[in-house]
Amino acid sequence: MSASASSFGAALRFSSRRLRRGWRSGELLILTLALVVSVASASAVGLFSDRVRRAVTQQSGDAIGADALISSRDALPQTLVDELRATGLRTARITEFASVVLSGEDTLLVSVKAAEAGYPLRGALRIADAPFAPAREVREVPGVDEVWIDVRVWQTLNLQPGASLQLGESTFRVTGVIEYEPDRGAGFTDLAPRALINAQALPATQLIGVGSRTQNALLLAGDEPALQAVGERELPAGARYLRPDKARPEVGRALGSAGQFLDIAVLAAILLSAAAVALSARQHGQRQRDEVALLKCMGASSRYVGWVLMSQLFLLGALAGLAGAAIGFVGQAVLAALLGALLDAPLPSPSLVPLLTAWGLELILLLGFALPPVLRARKVPPIRVFQRNVGEDRSLVVGALALGSAVALLWWQAGDPMLALSVLGGALGTTLVLALMAWGFVWLLTPLRRAGRTALRFGLGNVARRRGSSVGQVVALGAALLALLLLAVVQRDLLDAWRNRVPPDAPNQFLINIQPEQVEPLQAFFTQRGYRDLQLWPMARGRMVAFNGKPVTADSFDDPETRRWINREFNMSWTASFGDDNELLEGQWWTAADAGKPWLSVDDYVVERLGAKLGDKLTLTMADREIELTIVNIRRVKWESFKPNFFLVTPPGTLDAAAGMAQYLTALHVPRDQRGLLRDLIREFPNVTAFDIEATMNQVRGIVDRVVQAVQFLFGFALAAGACVLLAAIENTRAERVRETALLRTLGAARRTIAIGLVTEYLVLGLLAGLVAAAAAQIIAWVLARQVFELPYSWSPLLWLFGGVGGALLVVLLGWWSLRKVLDTPPRVVLASAN
Amino acid sequence: MSERELEAGLESDVKAGRGMAASGRAVVEASGVSKRIQSGSTSLTILEAVDLRIAEGETVAIVGSSGSGKTTLLSLLAGLDLPSTGEITLDGRALGALDEDARAALRAGRVGFVFQSFQLLGGFTALENVMLPAELAGYADAESRARRALDRVGLSKRLTHYPYQLSGGEQQRVAIARAYCGEPRILFADEPTGNLDHDTGERIVELLFELNRVGGTTLVLVTHDMGLAARCGRQLLLSQGRLLT
Repeated sequence: MSASASSFGAALRFSSRRLRRGWRSGELLILTLALVVSVASASAVGLFSDRVRRAVTQQSGDAIGADALISSRDALPQTLVDELRATGLRTARITEFASVVLSGEDTLLVSVKAAEAGYPLRGALRIADAPFAPAREVREVPGVDEVWIDVRVWQTLNLQPGASLQLGESTFRVTGVIEYEPDRGAGFTDLAPRALINAQALPATQLIGVGSRTQNALLLAGDEPALQAVGERELPAGARYLRPDKARPEVGRALGSAGQFLDIAVLAAILLSAAAVALSARQHGQRQRDEVALLKCMGASSRYVGWVLMSQLFLLGALAGLAGAAIGFVGQAVLAALLGALLDAPLPSPSLVPLLTAWGLELILLLGFALPPVLRARKVPPIRVFQRNVGEDRSLVVGALALGSAVALLWWQAGDPMLALSVLGGALGTTLVLALMAWGFVWLLTPLRRAGRTALRFGLGNVARRRGSSVGQVVALGAALLALLLLAVVQRDLLDAWRNRVPPDAPNQFLINIQPEQVEPLQAFFTQRGYRDLQLWPMARGRMVAFNGKPVTADSFDDPETRRWINREFNMSWTASFGDDNELLEGQWWTAADAGKPWLSVDDYVVERLGAKLGDKLTLTMADREIELTIVNIRRVKWESFKPNFFLVTPPGTLDAAAGMAQYLTALHVPRDQRGLLRDLIREFPNVTAFDIEATMNQVRGIVDRVVQAVQFLFGFALAAGACVLLAAIENTRAERVRETALLRTLGAARRTIAIGLVTEYLVLGLLAGLVAAAAAQIIAWVLARQVFELPYSWSPLLWLFGGVGGALLVVLLGWWSLRKVLDTPPRVVLASAN
Repeated sequence: MSERELEAGLESDVKAGRGMAASGRAVVEASGVSKRIQSGSTSLTILEAVDLRIAEGETVAIVGSSGSGKTTLLSLLAGLDLPSTGEITLDGRALGALDEDARAALRAGRVGFVFQSFQLLGGFTALENVMLPAELAGYADAESRARRALDRVGLSKRLTHYPYQLSGGEQQRVAIARAYCGEPRILFADEPTGNLDHDTGERIVELLFELNRVGGTTLVLVTHDMGLAARCGRQLLLSQGRLLT
């Protein structure tokens, strides 16, 4: 053969011609579809995540409105501010807290920020005169009688230009609507809308008393050495020094968890696509064998054949890559529409870089799953033109390559080898369980082979006869259905059941910041309005300094959750008796006679964090005094009661020293039609803050719903990939079915008989897949219910119904689509082409 | 005519000297060729000590009963497989010294094939099927050659038809056009009329011999058809893997 014939160009010409004619042949179409699905799902999530990442990164410079900040629960002393200013740093103090604003008869919970002049030190605020009016950049804070608010405040309270708002004892003129606040960050967490006031106006509101729940920050800007020096100096207790990259870890975490859900959905789609690619490539390789033998017969070299086989795949890959990217582009827009609204920051337009990642992933699919089985055909000897059985082989290398590529794929997408291995392990385990169940079901069907009429016997017989292939098809579809059923179960059964656990009369309003002298007037206020037996809980803050006599800090623990917990100040309370929302696990309840004893009752969360047991001693500092308390009982709190509860509780009188510093809180259920009561409350007790838990829960529910919708949307790709696997499995037995069908028709079987037989077979396969998926979903849901949601979970017949019926319908449709032409073609033609 | 009668008739021909090699340059030679295949612990001999010489331009029919090793011999002569022992020379090159790719390169442009089952690529048009060997041989004018070849077999109006749109006879004519398109020196045909009715088979045979006459191509064919075998210049009779000469 001449050099030109063996060249890549000639092979490319041949394969492009071959593809133009043959890409619609079953297995190549499925292979292409599977590639499209994997690129589409990976690029949709890649493009979306990249937009979120860039939105966060773009802000990181001014994400905290400063170069660095010192944050603290307590107000930072003026001496610290003065010392830092002396080092050449610019400073601005901000205080944030939740409070309620009044406008006429309406109230709204807001997140108040009181900022000193100079705020923000980095970045700028964008303020408009009215909602959606043109905004201007400002680098100053409102005047002392002015407030700038989020558009949500404006809309919720139905404000008009020139409106005023009452905040505590002060009235503020609304002079700006905040369009952009640099240090607001891109958080899911800041649920209450903002009201920004001048720090000088804060004392007059009388909202901040001793022990009020505020978050204080001292913003810093200046030279790097001066900023580094701040990090090395001793800071007041409870104060933390933060640089921008660490300032808002909750943003990263919140996005991280949402991202992980999306990643798992994509991994499911990619794994299923990989299975479809491997199956259809194997089939394509098989079908190429005769052609390869013929080409070799006519003088083609193995190299030329290799180029032909490879370029066919890569041409298809290129087409699938483009189509997948286009669908992925639409997909990311859907994700942005579902999730983007949860971010405060606007999303930048998509960049094309993540597409490279998706294409890289496709390349792994091609190289690892498609190419090896197809290239095996290259080794077929030309003698196959005379001896059809020559050149058939099975190779362990192909399997090993596929497994290695699966790990690489998962690693690439998940970015974490352990996650990749655990997902692969989970996938293999699930496949094994599905396969065992499928095998069992198929085995149970075997006696039915001889039952029923011809058509039925033919259909059922096929399922039992092709046991391996039947099990494969049931597992493929079962895996895809499992993903969907599980999602439906988690969303409908578990999340809804979890929400519904909240009793209808559970408290929906939390009142906090109640001062000791307000306890009686507040009780009287509610008694007058028909709310009797209102229990107010005292609350004092303490910090743990020693455990069983040994000093502890966050560094004493390895577990990150324990470290975070230890770092916080604990809210403690005291009571003579516990309600029925506390279950005694160990020890004894105390009685009124035990008042004043240095005893401690702990929730089992404390046991989990500290490994504490009855008799252990905790030393806490409260109001500058140390107190050692002994654990005398361990409780389990039913937090879903929504009543105030505390991890650490003592008998009354024990914390007397701290009692003067205590604030009180209470919770009650205020029916919707009696919300006017809250207005009266705020007027009479302006420093008391009412949290509308119901509104917060609705907002959280909204977020959860959107995340679930986004994950569901992505599981649509997994379903498409599952359908590809199913089609590939059907296609695998197609040639055999075609021959059988033609023979049966030649032997006199009516078209109707064969059609009923085929439908029976597919119906049974689909039904089995649905049942297998329902069984697996039921098991996983049960584990989730017990371990994660801590809910009783019962048998869900609907799941089995949807699984079975859905699976049966899907398989009948796909199977019919695959074989419809065979039934319409005269047997003579079918037999001739099969030969 | 039964296979036994066929063999008897051919044996008499061979004895009469009609099976002797023609003179002229040898394009295919086999000496001491045998083919054995191992099936489990037993060894099956398909061909045993075959010697033959086929000269340029000669027409040779390999005949014999089913299982006598005709197709195996054809595939060995064409270099599609290697003998267990012995040596085969194709167009002056010893095949035993060549690896599979080198044997393929030797075939490209020199060797044509016609199969009983036509072996056309289903997704390709008649024209594309015929172009294939010329393209593999690196001819720049593959398409015009293919058009000419199809014209010669009377299918110039069916260029864009796919195999499934053609009758069996037409498909075999496309296969013949494909075999001749690369202007091979040797054409191997395996039961070229085996899948065709008598009349169609006759026309195909005419075509094969006409192309042999016009192009001087050496024709080696395997057949059961005594009529066809008789039209060849020489008949080689295989019986139980041995060439009866």
